[in-house]
Amino acid sequence: MSFLQPLISGILTGGVYALAGIGMSLVFGVMNISNFAHGDLMMLGMYLAFFSFTLLHIDPYISLVLIIPIAFMFGYMMEKVFINRVIHHPHQNQILLTVGLGLIMSNTALLAFTSDPKILTTTYSSSAFNLFGDISVSVPLLLSFLITCLITVILYLFLSKTATGMALRATSQNREAAQLMGINVAKMSAIAFGIGTALAATAGALIAPTYYIHPLAGHSFLLKAFTICVLGGLGSVVGAGVGGIIIGVVEAMSSTYLSSDWKDVIVFVIFLAVLLFRPQGLFGKKGGQ
Amino acid sequence: MKNKFVSIVAGALLAFPLLAQAAPLKIGFINSITGKEAQIGENLTNGATMAIEDLKAKGIQVELIKEDDGGDPKNALAAYEKLVTRDGVIGVVGPYTSGCANVVASRADQYQVPLLVPAAAKEEITMKGYKNVFRLNAPANVYSKVLMDAVKAYKPKTIAYVYAATDFGVSTVKTAQENALKMGLREVANEKYQQGQPDYRSSLSKVKAANPDLVFLVSYDADAILLMRQAKEIGLTPKAFLGAGAGYTTAQFSQQTEISNLVVSATQWTDDVNWTGAADFGRRYKAKYAKEPSYHAACAYEAMRIMVETASRNNTSANLRAALKAGSWNGIFGPVKFASYGGFTNQNNHSMLVQQIQSGKYETVYPAQFSKKKLVYPFKR
Amino acid sequence: MKQIAFIAVLAAIAIALPLVIGESPYFIGILISLLMMAALSSAWNILGGYAGQYSFGHAAYFGAGAYTTLILLTLYNLNPLLCMAMGIVVASIIALITGSIVFRLRGHYFGLASIAVAEVVRLSVLNFEFTGGAQGILLSDVVLWDLDLNSKIPFYYGMLLVLAVTLAITAYLRKSKTGYYLQAIREDQDAASSLGINISFYKNKALLISAALTSVLGSLYGLYIRFIDTSAVLDLRLSIEIILTAIIGGVGTLWGPVVGALLLVPLAEVLRSNVLGDILIKAGLVSETSGVGMFLKDNLAHAHVLVYGIITVLCILYLPKGVLGLFRRKK
Repeated sequence: MSFLQPLISGILTGGVYALAGIGMSLVFGVMNISNFAHGDLMMLGMYLAFFSFTLLHIDPYISLVLIIPIAFMFGYMMEKVFINRVIHHPHQNQILLTVGLGLIMSNTALLAFTSDPKILTTTYSSSAFNLFGDISVSVPLLLSFLITCLITVILYLFLSKTATGMALRATSQNREAAQLMGINVAKMSAIAFGIGTALAATAGALIAPTYYIHPLAGHSFLLKAFTICVLGGLGSVVGAGVGGIIIGVVEAMSSTYLSSDWKDVIVFVIFLAVLLFRPQGLFGKKGGQ
Repeated sequence: MKNKFVSIVAGALLAFPLLAQAAPLKIGFINSITGKEAQIGENLTNGATMAIEDLKAKGIQVELIKEDDGGDPKNALAAYEKLVTRDGVIGVVGPYTSGCANVVASRADQYQVPLLVPAAAKEEITMKGYKNVFRLNAPANVYSKVLMDAVKAYKPKTIAYVYAATDFGVSTVKTAQENALKMGLREVANEKYQQGQPDYRSSLSKVKAANPDLVFLVSYDADAILLMRQAKEIGLTPKAFLGAGAGYTTAQFSQQTEISNLVVSATQWTDDVNWTGAADFGRRYKAKYAKEPSYHAACAYEAMRIMVETASRNNTSANLRAALKAGSWNGIFGPVKFASYGGFTNQNNHSMLVQQIQSGKYETVYPAQFSKKKLVYPFKR
Repeated sequence: MKQIAFIAVLAAIAIALPLVIGESPYFIGILISLLMMAALSSAWNILGGYAGQYSFGHAAYFGAGAYTTLILLTLYNLNPLLCMAMGIVVASIIALITGSIVFRLRGHYFGLASIAVAEVVRLSVLNFEFTGGAQGILLSDVVLWDLDLNSKIPFYYGMLLVLAVTLAITAYLRKSKTGYYLQAIREDQDAASSLGINISFYKNKALLISAALTSVLGSLYGLYIRFIDTSAVLDLRLSIEIILTAIIGGVGTLWGPVVGALLLVPLAEVLRSNVLGDILIKAGLVSETSGVGMFLKDNLAHAHVLVYGIITVLCILYLPKGVLGLFRRKK
């Protein structure tokens, strides 16, 4: 079997992982918080995409125009109301707060939308084209990947060119110093969490046409997002992007050449190896603090 | 005259405590209302609720005490013990998941309160000789048996397995391998997967490369849709897709005609089978819950009906156990009898059905005596 | 003196409780869950509370105990106590490997790495054949001396004993050199290091003690329920529940985890069994057939995890130092 097939489907799937990872990495960097509700925020994006498709008849990829601002506001408010209050608390309290918020979101979704999975079927949900004769490329996955690239570029430009973006990066590098320099770090946290939420929801919406939508669907992506963050270096957008693709390729390769049931173990072993030998991540600058 | 008087008094005396005790009949129901299996749990709840309503219409009053185990065996045990020691139920229906049913079943003889398992598939549950454990549905080995029997006539040569890394997935494939050996089928690929992954393309490409006649799939969630989508995408076309597990028996799956047409699946129940009241149950369920009944709903309906009807005539756990053991029923689940055979105890030797999706509808295609349509073989896109 | 009297009364109540409530397996079952969670959380507290190393992977040690015990029992039918001891060995090996990887890391990295190790353990158990894989292990009857292991009483006292030992170790550690060093590491690792404290030695010591106790509890759980699979004994949810119990009671305090378990375990059971809805209906406050009654009976059953989530959030926001922290502040 061709080596290119797992490589290509790995890269394309990795794109969606990357987006989830970037959102988490940004929150990590700016706020120094591990967000265990990240998977549930992805789930939110899935349902938003589903309902804009079924109720408003908007294509899931186009509905991102609606989902991104809604999710940003949701995340911004969530930070203001909840997260903000534990920003100086111990890590484990922050983690448990996000665990609790995640439980509230997923179980509210369970009550509101029931546990029946929803399937978003577009005309292109299972369409593919062939490359070099025998390598199939999924159309929805390719579209998601291109949108991911576009969003990553926009985010990168935002962080490096705009005043708000630079303030976010400054906060990420050194919160105290940023505050002394007159940056409103509380506002930066809320913005970072808003962007993080928007990215998680976008990842959810992008995967919706090829996945199924369920109140607990985000959970499978949570640990992946963490792995990607650490792999790329906490707070590094480019790192998380590359990290996501690496994870996607590793998964595809290990299920092709080893066995599909061990692929998650391999991902975690790589994760531990990175922590052991390069704790700052592949692209990170800060030490293991 | 005197004798008559005595007998009236004696009768009244005897009847009085009975009247005083005519507290409502109490039955327990342990189910996965929350947790990972909540979706299937909801189908069970719906089926059981309909059974209680139908019994009420027939004049049988029952107090049903519902307990959630969330899929956790520890909770299922707590629920069972609460039901039998505090609530004083005389019989329990449930739990849904095999893990929970296993733990509760192992304690049923200790408390001597009959347990009727409606839908858990693990074989062990009724293989330990427990006196108080009854099971309505067919266990895991029947899923693969009936599927392979359905295609036997077409003489397939090779088989590939793609299945969820869960108890049900692993057990079903183990028995499938035994059946395949008997049929002389050669195994060419074996892909176990973790549920919840978005990408199965690499596993499926391996299967495609092995070019099997049969692809045996076990999934009991929406991952069935994912797998079949990606199978289409990479162009996997065996002679037949054999699906075991609820994932291939949902209305949602059949509606995805582009990917699900001609997929063959094993099920405990269909609404077009000629069992008494099956079609009627299907219609009423659809009217009430605005969706197709899954086989789990039918299992729960029939288990609850059998339990309550039998309990209404036998007001102690001991009598109930004897009546369950001796009785036989005929309803939407076909003929039911709890028998001992082939290592099983108090197991209903249920005949599973094979259905195939033909133009967006599930059609029962095997065994012949229950079906109206014929199996389409080989599979084509 | 006052403290000793307090502990004596507490111990007497705990020992006498099964005799008082007698033959109610349901209540004793809940008490066993309570003692187990209190002990698990106390064992976690030795590492998390005193050394400040927040492990999110304690399920791995619990699972190691449960799996080792049940595998050895089904294969060789050894004495359950010997199996338990082997469980400690396996858990210690996992702990040493974990320690060598994760103790070089701090903060978030430590927590995440502990999750990764626990996931590797969980997935390996799921994939191997000798562990029963996804099918889990179902245990037939176990024999230990002439104890009736179908009864819950031996497990009640077993869990109570482990809890007592865990608390005694915690109390001893607090006053010992190790305890001071651990607290120094928690407060300022660099300062502790510059004082010449062998940080990695003491962290590993705390982890080993914590892991060994956790594995004993896992063994007891396996013998008690007699069925284990990865979702019951190796899941991330279990690790989180352990920490949550400690935090709600009060991290880094002797009695905090016990208080946390006293609050959370009964609460979870009340929510699960929907006692609240039943009481309201039985008391005649709400009619069973009314809209509210139907909601309580049907939806509250679905909502109990939601309620649990809300309570978690409220506790973290309003009781960040736990219930015991609240009392301390008032003093």
